[in-house]
Amino acid sequence: MSDHHNNEGLGVETFDARSPSRRRFLKTMGASSLAAATAPAWAQIAQAGQQQKEPVEPRDDGAPAEGEQQIQLTVNGVAHTLNVKPNAVLLDVLRDRLMLTGTKKGCDQGQCGACTLLVNDTAINSCLSLAVSHDGDEITTIEGLSQGDELHPVQVAFWAHDAYQCGYCTSGQIMSAVAILNDDNIGSDDASVREAMSGNICRCGAYKNILAAVQDARGKMEGAS
Amino acid sequence: MSDSIIGAGPKRIDGQRKVTGAAPYAADHHPDNMAYGYGVFSTIARGTVTGLDLDAARQSPGVIDIFHHDHFPELHRSPSSMAQGNKVEETRLPFEDNQVHYEGQFVALVVADTFENARAAARKVGVSYQRDDNAIANLDQGVKAHGTQKGQGNHERGDAAGNFDGAAHSIDVTYTTPVENHNPMEMHASVASWEGDRLTIFESSQGVVQQRGALSKIFGIPQEHIRVESPFIGSGFGSKLWMWPHAVAVSAAAREIGRPVQLVVPRQQMFTTTGHRPETRQRMRLATDERGRLVSLRHESINTTSFTDQYVETCGSVTKSLYSCPNLLVSHETTRVNRGTPTSMRAPGAAPGLFALESAIDEMALAAGVDPLEFRMNNYATRDESQDLDFSSNHIREATEKAAEKFGWQDRNPEVGSMRDGHEIIGYGMAACNWEAIKRECEARVSLRADGTAYVTCATQDIGTGTYTIIAQTVSELTGLPLEKITVRLGDTSYPKGPISGGSWTTATTLPAIAAATREAIKELKGYATGEKGDFAGVDSDSDSLTFENGQLTHDGQSVDYVDVLKGQKLASADGHAHTQGADDKYSYRSFGAHFVEVRWDPGISNLRVSRVVSAIDVGRVINSMTARNQVEGAIVMGLGMAHFEATEYDARNGRPVNNNYAEYVVPVHADQPPEVDVILLDYPDLAFNEFGARGIGEIGITGMAAAVANAVYHATGKRIRDLPIFKEKLMENVPEVQSA
Ligand code: FES
Ligand code: FES
Repeated sequence: MSDHHNNEGLGVETFDARSPSRRRFLKTMGASSLAAATAPAWAQIAQAGQQQKEPVEPRDDGAPAEGEQQIQLTVNGVAHTLNVKPNAVLLDVLRDRLMLTGTKKGCDQGQCGACTLLVNDTAINSCLSLAVSHDGDEITTIEGLSQGDELHPVQVAFWAHDAYQCGYCTSGQIMSAVAILNDDNIGSDDASVREAMSGNICRCGAYKNILAAVQDARGKMEGAS
Repeated sequence: MSDSIIGAGPKRIDGQRKVTGAAPYAADHHPDNMAYGYGVFSTIARGTVTGLDLDAARQSPGVIDIFHHDHFPELHRSPSSMAQGNKVEETRLPFEDNQVHYEGQFVALVVADTFENARAAARKVGVSYQRDDNAIANLDQGVKAHGTQKGQGNHERGDAAGNFDGAAHSIDVTYTTPVENHNPMEMHASVASWEGDRLTIFESSQGVVQQRGALSKIFGIPQEHIRVESPFIGSGFGSKLWMWPHAVAVSAAAREIGRPVQLVVPRQQMFTTTGHRPETRQRMRLATDERGRLVSLRHESINTTSFTDQYVETCGSVTKSLYSCPNLLVSHETTRVNRGTPTSMRAPGAAPGLFALESAIDEMALAAGVDPLEFRMNNYATRDESQDLDFSSNHIREATEKAAEKFGWQDRNPEVGSMRDGHEIIGYGMAACNWEAIKRECEARVSLRADGTAYVTCATQDIGTGTYTIIAQTVSELTGLPLEKITVRLGDTSYPKGPISGGSWTTATTLPAIAAATREAIKELKGYATGEKGDFAGVDSDSDSLTFENGQLTHDGQSVDYVDVLKGQKLASADGHAHTQGADDKYSYRSFGAHFVEVRWDPGISNLRVSRVVSAIDVGRVINSMTARNQVEGAIVMGLGMAHFEATEYDARNGRPVNNNYAEYVVPVHADQPPEVDVILLDYPDLAFNEFGARGIGEIGITGMAAAVANAVYHATGKRIRDLPIFKEKLMENVPEVQSA
């Protein structure tokens, strides 16, 4: 992995030249809930990259056992059919069934933000959400943000600004940052970002650097759209 | 050395793994056939478990076994010796008997096939208790019920009492600090697997070597049969230095059921069974002469400990040597309460201790009629009077001056409540910060490999401080290899023994070992090069004329890349192993600094916030300017939490914690971050301490912060808050008049 990520001119067109998935991405756009008109290029690219991946194990096609329910989750562009208990929480299903352990559990009670991910492009605390309530949803986790070796601008900025210490809140911080940078209702000034990010605790206290990273990524993402 | 990578600020070598979610933390491990544990915890603070109703839980889907005091293998206690390498803070084993010493103590452990099933079954376990209504809920109750026990770290010189009475100026005040919980983002977690009588455990640990030693004693198996791994941890702040009961419980459960088991301590029990900073009460008696020179200083503290173990919070550790005073007394005592065993939390002793000392210095300065900054300048010690030693390097005066100048202390109007900005009253406060520097023995291994990379191992940990990166910087400095070519592996007991990641020891302890191992590897390489088949056959391998620089061996104008030396002889690597020793006792090794804080108090809406912090820190040489600054900035945030928000509250009637979660135990969030935080790193190498001149940086930033805030609050409001945290309610009586905008 190179230390340098050249994000200049990383608009959709540039990206198109490198990714065979663009056409497929555009085809799926209609069916997806992605707000193509307003979402910055990077949000689209993250989704696009996921489309080319094949579904991976585990994939339960068997009938659900008694007390279970069959659901479909599209996670980072990959469709999964899963039989889950009604008390299974989205965060645990991702971590323990799909082995997507990048999303973290910091409290299991909706108080810390470590488990933040995007459901149909909206940031939620996945520890508070039952898996059965996400049948048919598209989910983006930290693992789905980068495009192969090409990190998302928010990831690049977090690395460059040392916007973490232990790294345990980082997935959640990054997913929230992606969501707020894509949200026109949230102001771009420092105070607005601080307010909007306040659901994501960083016990290491890397807040100063996280803010710097978010603001730096803002420039890169705008440049890309 | 200007282009040296030591002192530069390269970004972290483990950064990519952190920003992509690929860094493996303890509970991310899912060995084949893994089962899940979920604890059942006591709901009384003191008493006896009289019965367990397990029928419903046993019939719950997926349940494999349920462990409790009548169904748990016979184990042994760890002697809990740091020197032996088996320290634990809570020596009582889980399920040892039916006694309950604190709320949130393990009373059962359910193991099931999935997390959901384990949790569901745990909630069906019925526990009956014989409650002892004499639960001791807090420090006052403990002292009243059975007094205090003597602690360690005490010190006396001169005649403090005799020089107090009749002194020109004096104060006698008492400060109190509450229980704080570390609350690292990652909950304590273990994944234990056995193969025969060999145990592998992934643990969120700040000290894998100590944990291995403790497990060895507890299970009665050789250390070589145990592997503890902690490559990434979601921080610890001290709570993960020593193993807690959950790790014993899960290891035993995994052995009993013959399957790997994962156990995560729920957030609520992170307040009970994984340590905390204890409650303290500190009496400060200070006196000065006419000119404001300290003539007597007494710092007497009591902290709460558990009924099972004595933990001493050494609040007076800094008081012994920060200020010059011929007549001084520091004493520590403990009292027992029905809480879990306390443990070190970031800057143990110093964090609560400097709240008291640096608040008292402010009060003393005012009583003596001297500016608090000037008072400190007049009284800072020039040598360690408690040990009768010189400091190895002490730039506290420069730190204080630099921070004061940047902060604008000279603009401070000393009159309370006199500085206003519209509705807001501005307060300026300052405090010194201080922490001891410790260097222990350490081992490390470095391989220079034929593929042009270096491979470095040490069983210390990177808990978020940047240890991976500074170790790679060290190897890079000595070999010329770029960071990308250096692989660093930490947090695994199969590597050479390294220190706990705590007490700001890691940098000063590990870097000399890494450097020595690198030099050993270079020496081995030179041996190959000068051997029979080598490029420099016949040359004396120890000769100064044979140099190694930027990956090249050079002799007599002829250079060979080290890769070619190895490849030429079909060798995989040149290896070096080192075992370095701890610091000597020629000097008193300490770090120094000063915090300056601006608070804004809006009495109309009772709003108090810290708007500005300027801190200057003298920690010897800074190895990585980016991660070092981050450490101090993070410690300042935690210090603000200590000052403003953090307190675990216990119901005085029954000893039960009432705010055991992240919503009600308030920690600073993004919105609490002061708009301006300015950290100045002085960067004077302390070469008497180690060849890199680094003293460590994790703790010092939190010391003194709470006092700096409290002193600023006093300046703004006239209220001297001697009981942390500074809740706004405490400021709301006798609200000063509001000046209209
Ligand atoms: S784990 Fe979901 S908010 Fe803390
Ligand atoms: S980086 Fe450790 S909690 Fe944020």
